[in-house]
Amino acid sequence: MSEFLSNEPMLDMFVFETAQNIEQLEKTILDGEKTSRFSKTEIDEIFRIMHTIKGSSAMMSFKGISSLSHRIEDLFFYIRENPETDYDCSVVTDLILESVDFISGELENMKNGIFNESDSTWLEEKLCKTLRTVKGSDAAVLATEDEETAQANDEAAQADAKEDFGDWAELAGPCADEEARVSVAANLFQVVLHFVEGCDMENIRAFNIVYLLKKHAAGIRHFPEDLDSNESRDYIRRHGFTAFFRTDLSEEEVRGFFSQEVFLKEYSLVQFEYEADFEKEQASFDREPDAAGTKAPKPVPAQQRTQAANSGQSIISVNVAKLDALMDMIGELVIAESMVLHNPDLYGLQLDNFHKSAHQLHKITSELQDLAMSIRMVPLRNTFQKMHRIVRDMSRKCSKEVDLLITGEETEVDKNVIDHISDPLMHLVRNALDHGLESQEERLEKGKPPKGTVLLGARNEGGEIQIFVRDDGKGLNKAKLLKRAKENGLLTKPEHEMTEKEIYHLIFHTGFSTSDTITEYSGRGVGMDVVLRNIEGLGGRVSVESEEGKGTQFTVHFPMTLAIIDGMNVRVGNCTYTLPITVIKETIKPSGKDVIRDPQGNEMILFRGECCPVVRLHQIYGVRADTETISEGIVVMVETSDKMAGVFVDELIGENQVVVKALPRYINQISGIAGCTILGDGSISLILDVAGLAA
Amino acid sequence: MKKVLIVDDAAFMRLAIRRVLEKNNFEVVGEAPNGEVSIVKYAECRPDVVTMDITMPDMSGIEALKKIRELDPDAKVVMVSAMGQESMVKEAIISGAKSFIVKPFKEDHIVQMLKKIAG
Repeated sequence: MSEFLSNEPMLDMFVFETAQNIEQLEKTILDGEKTSRFSKTEIDEIFRIMHTIKGSSAMMSFKGISSLSHRIEDLFFYIRENPETDYDCSVVTDLILESVDFISGELENMKNGIFNESDSTWLEEKLCKTLRTVKGSDAAVLATEDEETAQANDEAAQADAKEDFGDWAELAGPCADEEARVSVAANLFQVVLHFVEGCDMENIRAFNIVYLLKKHAAGIRHFPEDLDSNESRDYIRRHGFTAFFRTDLSEEEVRGFFSQEVFLKEYSLVQFEYEADFEKEQASFDREPDAAGTKAPKPVPAQQRTQAANSGQSIISVNVAKLDALMDMIGELVIAESMVLHNPDLYGLQLDNFHKSAHQLHKITSELQDLAMSIRMVPLRNTFQKMHRIVRDMSRKCSKEVDLLITGEETEVDKNVIDHISDPLMHLVRNALDHGLESQEERLEKGKPPKGTVLLGARNEGGEIQIFVRDDGKGLNKAKLLKRAKENGLLTKPEHEMTEKEIYHLIFHTGFSTSDTITEYSGRGVGMDVVLRNIEGLGGRVSVESEEGKGTQFTVHFPMTLAIIDGMNVRVGNCTYTLPITVIKETIKPSGKDVIRDPQGNEMILFRGECCPVVRLHQIYGVRADTETISEGIVVMVETSDKMAGVFVDELIGENQVVVKALPRYINQISGIAGCTILGDGSISLILDVAGLAA
Repeated sequence: MKKVLIVDDAAFMRLAIRRVLEKNNFEVVGEAPNGEVSIVKYAECRPDVVTMDITMPDMSGIEALKKIRELDPDAKVVMVSAMGQESMVKEAIISGAKSFIVKPFKEDHIVQMLKKIAG
């Protein structure tokens, strides 16, 4: 139904729902592979998913997806109906995963407005071949199903399944008993029916008519006789459906009966006066071999649906754009509230009742804010589940046996984070397998279990969300890291002065790779820098812990929310800047001697025995500051993923909640500025991006 | 305006049918994502006609059809089927389904069917 294609909401819905189904399919298939046999529930689930995708994609006229899902449906139909069948689970899994990738690719294209369907015939051929193999291995079945196999072989196989035809006799049996009592002197009729083109399943429509006719008529004979096969359907399409019957109904009543049928294009009704003519006419059909049709295929048990799923009644899907808008509005509300409560007109007034009401207002806005925030929170479950596939593919290609353990998948993070965390996480998991874990021989030599473990987890801790990837592999080799960094000229200070943290963070440098061999997945030195950039782009940071011989852990830290943050407002001259509270370690009022200069002449401040660079905002942004003397201002110590810095400011204004707004488009990206916010008095404050400042 | 209840586990299909029907002067009085909910909704909304998907989790369309017909022997239910479900469509007909449509269907086909069935 291509009229849907031009229909944006339909397309959105299709893409969204199909993507969800595909994800579920991937999960189910990977679960099944673990036990090297699909359970009945899993087969039913896969079958149902493919059936849904087939239907929806056919409605959207996406023939590739539709016929591909049809092939999978066929395969799983066979497996379901023949539980004893011997099939290679991993071969089937590979095929389904390939199909999942194909469909995902198509969906991705659609999202980008590309509707040229890719060619799926190669995949369909593979699926047909697998179905043949599966059937072939079933020696007992083979003999009886030659015909069906031949049909599957048919390259131009029609879009319809030769699936589950029920037992005609069994179904028709009970209604035969109910056949109407018709007097001997009944009226004799012949009717020829033609159905509306494209209404499909003409044979079943004919069955429907015969079924209903039995309530009024007797001695019904129809051609084709067998209404179960695709041949009968094609016959009816070409020649129409002919029935002979005796009834007490008058011609008018019979016409009334047929006019009720929905998809009838036309029909011709003939009434016979003489029994002999009636018989003769029927006999002429008997002689026509085509019309008699083939015998019904063997009966197949009817489908049963046992898959459990929630009814979804209490859950609705909401477009993310609406949530974004809601969040924006609440942000505006928070700003407006702050503008009212801190209005300069109120200064110095005795306003007890006002403050009481203001307090109540504040309570409601912050509750509203929490609520809106919680709506945006999505569990990490799906993102984590996707990693099973990565681990499976990687462990095969690298020939390493790996157990992926997942904890804390129920941890919720902002939808925005979910959308962007997948790629960096995937990279970390791949790295853990490729670089972190040793080969099996190596592990055995070291007395480790041959199977490696990768732990993927998430937790809420100290107002932030931590997502970690830990492996029990060889750990980072500091000497090797330093050597490689030196070769690439990445060292900014003498080796012996580098802290452990700084050494580990070398791997985030662009163009850094310690892997001696380049694999398909990693070792090309692109990646970790992108990982870091992506995560910092989301307002997060990465930390690395490692112990040689024991393993490595990468932890991604995110603030709980990204839209509204707790900020510390600071002043430099007449400009206000905001620093996220989460990055502030301490504020100090330094004395002149705390500040030293390194050999390059850069200002450094000693903080807990560590030398940190001093960032002078007035120099970077060309602002006239009240003072340029360190001892007269304040230094705010901030920490990013790998380093600390002291931000020199005139004074601290205070802490409050700020709504993060993107910089307007006409201002290009400025390093060190993450966005801006509107303060209570209506003035604008720039939110500092500490990672950018310290870089 | 004739009242219709749409039963389908795929939100996409529900939306597709809803849009077609609303464009053609039907009133969609409810949607249900599975058989169980459809029975509750049927009792609540008393639609003139129900479009019932066959393949659904938990309770199939055929089971739901039977339950709805128990509830209201005059219930008009049409099945939304797909190629390959011939035997199930037959079962539905014997269980009292008024007619059926095969996915992917044409807009005028479903409209024509529902107009005729709803009377």
